[in-house]
Formats: sequence, C-alpha cells, structure tokens
Amino acid sequence: MIPIKKGFEADIDYNYQRMYVSGMMQLISHMLKAGSQVDDVIKTEVAEMPDGFVFRMNVMPGELSLTMQKQQGALVNLTNYTDKPDLTMSFKHVTFAFLVFSFQEHTAQAYANERLIIDGDVPTSMKVVRCLNRLQTVILPKVVAKKAVKTYPDLEFIQKIQMTTKTYSQFLVNLVKER
Amino acid sequence: MANEYYEFFCPVKMVAGFKALEHIPFELSSHDASRPLIITDRGVRGVGLVDIVTKALEAADMQAIDIFDDVPPDSSMITVATIAALYREKECDSILAIGGGSVIDTAKGVNILVSEGGDDLRAYSGTGVVKSPLNPFFVIPTTAGTGSETTNVSVIKDDKTGAKVPFVSPFLLPDAAILDPRMTLSLPPKITAATGMDALTHAVESFTGLAKNPISDAYATAAMKKIVTHLPEVLKNPSDAAGRLQLAEASTMAGIAFSNSMVGMVHSLGHSVGAKCHVPHGLCMSILMPHVLEFNLSVSSENIGELLLHVAGSDVYASTPVAERPAKAIATIIALKEEMYALCELPRKLSETGSVKETDLEDIARMALDDGSMLLNPIDATFEQALSVLKKAF
Repeated sequence: MIPIKKGFEADIDYNYQRMYVSGMMQLISHMLKAGSQVDDVIKTEVAEMPDGFVFRMNVMPGELSLTMQKQQGALVNLTNYTDKPDLTMSFKHVTFAFLVFSFQEHTAQAYANERLIIDGDVPTSMKVVRCLNRLQTVILPKVVAKKAVKTYPDLEFIQKIQMTTKTYSQFLVNLVKER
Repeated sequence: MANEYYEFFCPVKMVAGFKALEHIPFELSSHDASRPLIITDRGVRGVGLVDIVTKALEAADMQAIDIFDDVPPDSSMITVATIAALYREKECDSILAIGGGSVIDTAKGVNILVSEGGDDLRAYSGTGVVKSPLNPFFVIPTTAGTGSETTNVSVIKDDKTGAKVPFVSPFLLPDAAILDPRMTLSLPPKITAATGMDALTHAVESFTGLAKNPISDAYATAAMKKIVTHLPEVLKNPSDAAGRLQLAEASTMAGIAFSNSMVGMVHSLGHSVGAKCHVPHGLCMSILMPHVLEFNLSVSSENIGELLLHVAGSDVYASTPVAERPAKAIATIIALKEEMYALCELPRKLSETGSVKETDLEDIARMALDDGSMLLNPIDATFEQALSVLKKAF
C-alpha cells in the first residue's frame, strides 16, 4: 500500500514518486521509439530532426533520465550516453516530474510554472514536445490525455483506436526483439 | 487548489525621468567603475544621442574610454569578440549600451566574454551556463519597445553557421536601465508607433499567456494603460517629452512582465514573418495581435475580456456586459491600429507592408510552429490554424 503523507495537501512519498517516474520514463522511451516507427505524425516530426540528434529528459541532479537519439529515421533509446545532448529537458525536482507523468500538469504548464528547464535548440525542442504530446494523445484514454496535453487534437475515435493498436503492437514487437 | 506556482525576478535598478542621464556618473562610481566602454550603432550616434551621454559624463569628470558604434542590426559573435578585444585593450571596467535590442544583446554578449574570459562566446551558450555576476553594465534604451533592458536573454548570430544562439542567465541583466526622454525624442513617428505596439504586445501576451502571474500582471496592465493613453498623444505631438517618458517606462514595465511570463503566438508568427520577409518586429506585432487574440478566444476569453479594463478604461469596462468584453477588447486594439494608420500610416495588414506575399504564408506558418513562444500560447496551433490566422492578417 502506498503511504500518503498528511499535511497541507496529501502527497505521495518521494520514494514512491521516484519509482513511478523512473518506470514512466522507461515506458515513455520505449513507447516513443515505437511511435517513431509507426505513427505518421511522430514520424514526420522526427524526419525533420537532424540525424544523430540526441535529447534527454531528466530529473535534477540527473539520477533519473531518459536519453533518445534519432537513428535511421526513428528514435532509439541510449543507455550510456555521456556527452552533452543537443537538447535537455530537466525537471528541477522529482515531484515536478511526478506531476507531469501522473498527468496532473502538462509539459507546457510545467515549463510555464518554472518546474522544467529546456536547454538546447529551440525549434527542435518544439518538435520533441509535439512528439510527446502526440504519443500521450495516442496511448492514453481520451479523458486522461486531455489533462496530459495542452490542446487535445481533432482525432476521431476510429483513428485513435487504430493508432493506439499500432503503437502498442510495435512496442510489444520491439520488446520481443530486444530480448 | 490548482497547481499554481510562479517565479518573478527583476533586480534591474530603474533610473527614469527628467535628466536621468546625469545620474550615470554616480551609478558608475557606486559600482566602483570609472572607465566605461560605450556600445552603440551608427544610427544612434548619427542623431547625436551618444553625445548627450558623453557630455553628461564629462561634466562629472568622467569620460567614455572608447565608443564602438558599429553594431549591426543582427547581433553577431564576431562583433561581440571584436568589442571584447577593444574593451580589454583599453582596460575598460564597465559597459554603457546605448541603443535598441541588437545593441543591448550585443553588449550582454560582450559582458560575458570580458567578465568570464575567453574569446569564444559559444562556450557560454544555453541556459544557466553563466553562473556568477558580470562586470558593471548599464543600458540606455533609445527605442520604447523591446524591453531588452529587463530580460535575462541575449540572442546572438553565430557567423559560422548562421544560427541564432541563445544565452540565458540572470547575470546577463544590467545593473541599471536609464530611461531618459531625450533618448527617444528623435524617434520617427512610424518607429514610435511600431515599437509602442511591440511593447503593448509584450504586455498583452504576458497577461494572456500560460505563465501569467499576479506580479507580472501588475506590470503588464500598468504598461497597457500607459501605451493606449500616450502613444496616440506622442504621435500627434512628437516633441512631447513627458509622453515619450511614459512610453519608455511602459516599454520597460512590459519588458519586466514578459521576461517573467513570456510571450505567445503573436511572437511565434511575428518572428517568422520577420525572418522570412524582413518586416520590422514591432510592425508584425501590431498587425498580428488582434488576430491571435481572436484565435485564443476559445480558451482565454476571461483573460482577454479583462484586457478591456486596461485598454479601454473603467467606464467602458463597467458598461460592457461580461460576455461582450473579450470582443470589445479586441475591437479596441483594432481601433488603436486604425488610429496608428491614420496618424502615421502604420500598416494594418501584412499585405500593406509591401514585403509579404501571399505565397510566403505557408512557409511562415510552418516556421511559427517551431518557435519557442508557441509553447506558452494558450492553444497549440496546428499548421492549418496558424495559416488561417496569417491569411486573416494578410
């Protein structure tokens, strides 16, 4: 059972937030890889990123992070990348990452609320944000996705189901291949 | 309680008003500085604005050690390195930037190099790389629009790649901004109008964007009131020094607001129109602002409705039903644009600029989606939506 702190507002223990954020980062990096292989919107955004482009999303001081690179037209996960990425999106604290990954606050609002620092090439950072928004729109139920993104796009139910199925299927295929 | 949170930061001392320039010698000495380098451009020096500053220094037994007056319209790293070498050669200890956005951005870059060391500005690019206080730095704006004297950002062109490189740090902010009406008295009417509308856009986008906060709202709304009151008056009477000072103050206040709350889609589209068609920034802002407000109405009607109080006054606000306030606020801004056109022929549409072709609009819309300002616009625009706004503004 997850312990809830009592106080000004009920909150989840930082250790559980860290575990949740770590898991979500793993999931998002794998889903983004799958999305960049099968989703036309994400594929178009990735196509306009420079080859070899590396972006990282992390939680300061850096123990939690996901790093991805554009390779052969799609995004792949990097596990031991030590150079400075072309783009870094850093949450100032694990609890701010938790707010975003638990869909209480979308990425743009986190940036507006000074919880997230974006450092790097601005035009490409906008493409990455759009990829993340599209991914959340596709893989989450609409009621959750509407909280996770600033503007929920016009997406018919049938289209959404098709894209959700394709993305999750590719995610599973990738998991099997990587084993 | 929602997840509301904000930060507000502006340590810049304001030295504003009658004979403000004569305070510069004291400001320099209070920072233990006595050997300032003036950074400016040829236009500013040509109309005699630098002379006013140097005479004020000389009267206090102080002098500018040198004057660099060749800052180009787009700040460049080569220019920054050249000025930094001059600063070191002449053993200067402080910087006076006299000019608009490009001069101020260039001076910020110079201050990084002369304070932190080195000749390659690229080493300091990005967010938060500069982590310690820089040398004494004072800004004297000669336009009332950019607000650069209160921003922690400098954007400088990399001459090798052509890319515009951002430098972001609170230490880039000047120690003081000196606002003296003599600095903007000679500004031609069209530039006065365009820069005034630029400042109004900073205030409006700060007030209606995702990062708005109570303190930036206070600055933004006060700036709006000053601009709508004094901009038409100054255009009717360009030698109105008191009105000029009001506009300079409004520009700085709008700068404080947007440097804490950021801007939105008017700037995304405007940056792209400027990059593609070389239309002056303030003019783009003036043309696009009402169209973007209309686009944002579906999610920001309350904030846009509140604009009415600050752009039309309390009587109009009180006599307008709540539901009609957003449309009336936009109509008031459109009326201000029409007034600018009547007073100095400031173009009202992109087609009237003579620089934008309808065939450019698709490229502009595409570029605008990748502009960082879009992140804090209340709505994420699609390509089709951005294009639709541009077509209405054409």
